[in-house]
Amino acid sequence: MTSVPPAVRLQIKDYKSGLKPIWCPGCGDFGVLQALYRALAAVGRPPHEIAFVSGIGCSSRIPGYTTAYGFNSVHGRALPIAQGIKVARPELLVLAAGGDGDGFSIGGGHLPHAIRRNPDITYVVMDNQIYGLTKGQLSPTSPRGLQTVTSEYGSLEEAVNPLLYVLAYGCNFVAQGTPADLPGLAALIEEAIRFPGFSFVNVQSPCVTYGEDDQQIKAQKAKMKSLQSLGHDPSDRIRAMDLAQHYGRELYTGVFYRKPDPPPTFEALVRERQQELAGKALPRERILDLFLQR
Amino acid sequence: MNSTTDLVIGMAGSGGDGIVSAGESLVAAAAHEGYHAMMTKSFGSQIRGGESSCRVRLSTRQVLNPGGNLDVAVALNWDDFLKFGAELPVGGETVVLFESDTGVAPDALPLEGVAPREIFAVPIGEMARKSAGTDKAKNAVVLGLLSGWFGIARDALLGGIHKKFAKKPPEVAAANERAFALGEIYAQEHPLREPRRIERPASAPPTGMLLTDGNDMCAAAAIFSGCQFFSGYPITPSTEVMQFLTREIWKYGGAVIQAEDEIAGIGAAVGASYAGKKAMTATSGPGMSLKTEMLGLASIAELPLVLLNVQRGGPSTGSPTKPEQADLFQAVFSAHGDVLRPVLAPTSVADTFAITVEAFNIAERYQTPVVILSDQEIAQRKETVDPIDTGRFAVEERRRPTEAEREHYTRFAITASGISPISHPGMPGGNYLASGIEHNEHGDPTASGAMHARMNEKRFRKLEPLKRRRDLIVIEGDPEAPLALISWGSTAGVCREALALARGEGLRAKLLVPYLIHPIPEEAYREFFASVRAGLVVEQSHQGQLYRLLRSFIDVPASVRSLARSGANPFQPREVVARLAELSLQLQGKPGENLAAGE
Repeated sequence: MTSVPPAVRLQIKDYKSGLKPIWCPGCGDFGVLQALYRALAAVGRPPHEIAFVSGIGCSSRIPGYTTAYGFNSVHGRALPIAQGIKVARPELLVLAAGGDGDGFSIGGGHLPHAIRRNPDITYVVMDNQIYGLTKGQLSPTSPRGLQTVTSEYGSLEEAVNPLLYVLAYGCNFVAQGTPADLPGLAALIEEAIRFPGFSFVNVQSPCVTYGEDDQQIKAQKAKMKSLQSLGHDPSDRIRAMDLAQHYGRELYTGVFYRKPDPPPTFEALVRERQQELAGKALPRERILDLFLQR
Repeated sequence: MNSTTDLVIGMAGSGGDGIVSAGESLVAAAAHEGYHAMMTKSFGSQIRGGESSCRVRLSTRQVLNPGGNLDVAVALNWDDFLKFGAELPVGGETVVLFESDTGVAPDALPLEGVAPREIFAVPIGEMARKSAGTDKAKNAVVLGLLSGWFGIARDALLGGIHKKFAKKPPEVAAANERAFALGEIYAQEHPLREPRRIERPASAPPTGMLLTDGNDMCAAAAIFSGCQFFSGYPITPSTEVMQFLTREIWKYGGAVIQAEDEIAGIGAAVGASYAGKKAMTATSGPGMSLKTEMLGLASIAELPLVLLNVQRGGPSTGSPTKPEQADLFQAVFSAHGDVLRPVLAPTSVADTFAITVEAFNIAERYQTPVVILSDQEIAQRKETVDPIDTGRFAVEERRRPTEAEREHYTRFAITASGISPISHPGMPGGNYLASGIEHNEHGDPTASGAMHARMNEKRFRKLEPLKRRRDLIVIEGDPEAPLALISWGSTAGVCREALALARGEGLRAKLLVPYLIHPIPEEAYREFFASVRAGLVVEQSHQGQLYRLLRSFIDVPASVRSLARSGANPFQPREVVARLAELSLQLQGKPGENLAAGE
């Protein structure tokens, strides 16, 4: 790509790569991608200043469909890589994305630590309650009783609740959206990106091939309720947790929780420590003087 | 013998006895005086208490390994001492001093079949209490005894005592000084039948000597190389690398993340490298197992990365506080798919500097993960090191695309060298998709078999020049010798001394030490083997992993065999010499062989 002069307002097309998505026709991820383009254009950072990291899964192909610097990494590890990038170059806009398996199963151990470090990274999970890329096995958010090729007689396990999970670990920005409400989803992603600190957006992105009928866009449109319409105050964390308990039964969209006074980000604290200690460095070529026995 | 140029002291006691602290005082004092010294520590795996030991080797010449049988054995109690077995071997030349409180009679030491040269039952605890009012001064008594009997750096030892207790009330140092003096007096009143005092060293270099361990040396070399990011997960015996960098790296604009697990540790380092910064992680065998998927990612995404694996006894938790060289197969072969991953191994604290700098240079130049295989002994032993002129070391940077190259940037361009210019986020026009999935030259995912083959070929081809790096294979001794040793890592230090001893005894021998373990510089080995009639590959692993690796890549003469055994059973230089002598005798039995030194 060629760089765009900063004076020119960036358009959606500036974030679209030429690659054709591998997703099935009707996949919810197309909507997520559209919403993301809109959010990125609204934020307006040039693509070369964006690092977009994903893991493995259908949804993890998403960085390749943007003109940002992308990193389609290994299963479950988008967040550690994204944190390394953010600490190395805090000036970048860092996005991470993946599926429910990536975020809550194989990579589930990384999320609490990303939350407690609080780097300014936006993490978008495309939650479809199924493993699509491997053709229809149980996922960590599959409802109990779901019959799949790995649960012939129905799942025996309770689903992970992604919203409660991140709220319980102290995530300072938690939202849920759906491609059934594209403008709403674009606005949520934009707000998450603008939030200073770690932000989490769960997207109910249906799998058109292996998903259930009641998860598809049409059903979602009938079912979704905006948190705003319920009069939810997003600064109320306890109420947010209360509403989040309905994950899997109700489809609430909007911001569950946004900390009104966000704490400093990890990279800001890193920078502060670097500045505090900068004057105390021996020249690199004299580092071994630390071992001198006089 | 009234004087000696080399002294090996082994001490053991229980955790609270201050044995390791005494060892540290000894090496610090020795370094101060200009001796070459090395201290290895060994512990049980208890957190506090339990048994602990150290070996200190002092010499007027360069020390290459912890030495063989002890010249001096100090046992504060025998149960603890005996737990270290082969790590603290007592022989007929050893002077044994032990705590008389143990109730063991000097003529009934629990040392099967060994008659030490001299034995002293010393009331060490009683002397500590009498002079300093506390058992804590036992180590000061021991230092006094050692100084008195063997003439070790009295002033430096006393200076060290003052320095050590500088932050305590002055009476603490004074009490320890009295304990030291009492030990010295005891030694004067009970002289050795055969005095054995260590000669004065040449004076220390005017700048002073360096004294450090392999882990700290590695971390310092990382800073020197421009490393700006480290993340890792604590694991014995590599954790000190993270600890050092946690103190230092911020000063250089870098950062450390103590990751939530081994995978995140390497993951964040991969991310930082993708973002254009030199990055490193460190671990030991079990952690390496967890990191290997991410290593595959770094290989296919062609990202520079340095991974230090400080080997310990394995598999699994194994013997986490003991040295072993059994992660070589893991370093070389633990990959999914076709991967060539450079593996380097230092042989001492001193050369850990050069090897670490080299690892960063190779990683950056070839855009590849590089494994440094250290081991517990090198990583945690303290060693005097002559001052290193860092000006001799070039630091390389990855090849970044020029502005013109970014007009139509092709991240994985198939070039003649196989190296493609690498951009990083933030660089205008350098945008690309890094991926674990196979990709074309632009970085776009592909399922094409033809492209996969071309990319594999490119990724292997770029590392070919490493096989011609003669400077990463060191050959010592008589180049035309019929007798050969090959050894790597900490064991190479044993073989270096064995080679000198063997040649001193008229054996025509040479030694090959590979610092580059993989890829194998085949031509260098072929030339080395040309004159060889018999030889040994010496290493500390049950299988003889280097020996087997060499055999799987090159034609190793059948007369070159493996001399290998499990970790925590260190080789001794004398033993290697004896094996060489045997080989020499066998060859002499054959007609037409002339193995005596030519001159």
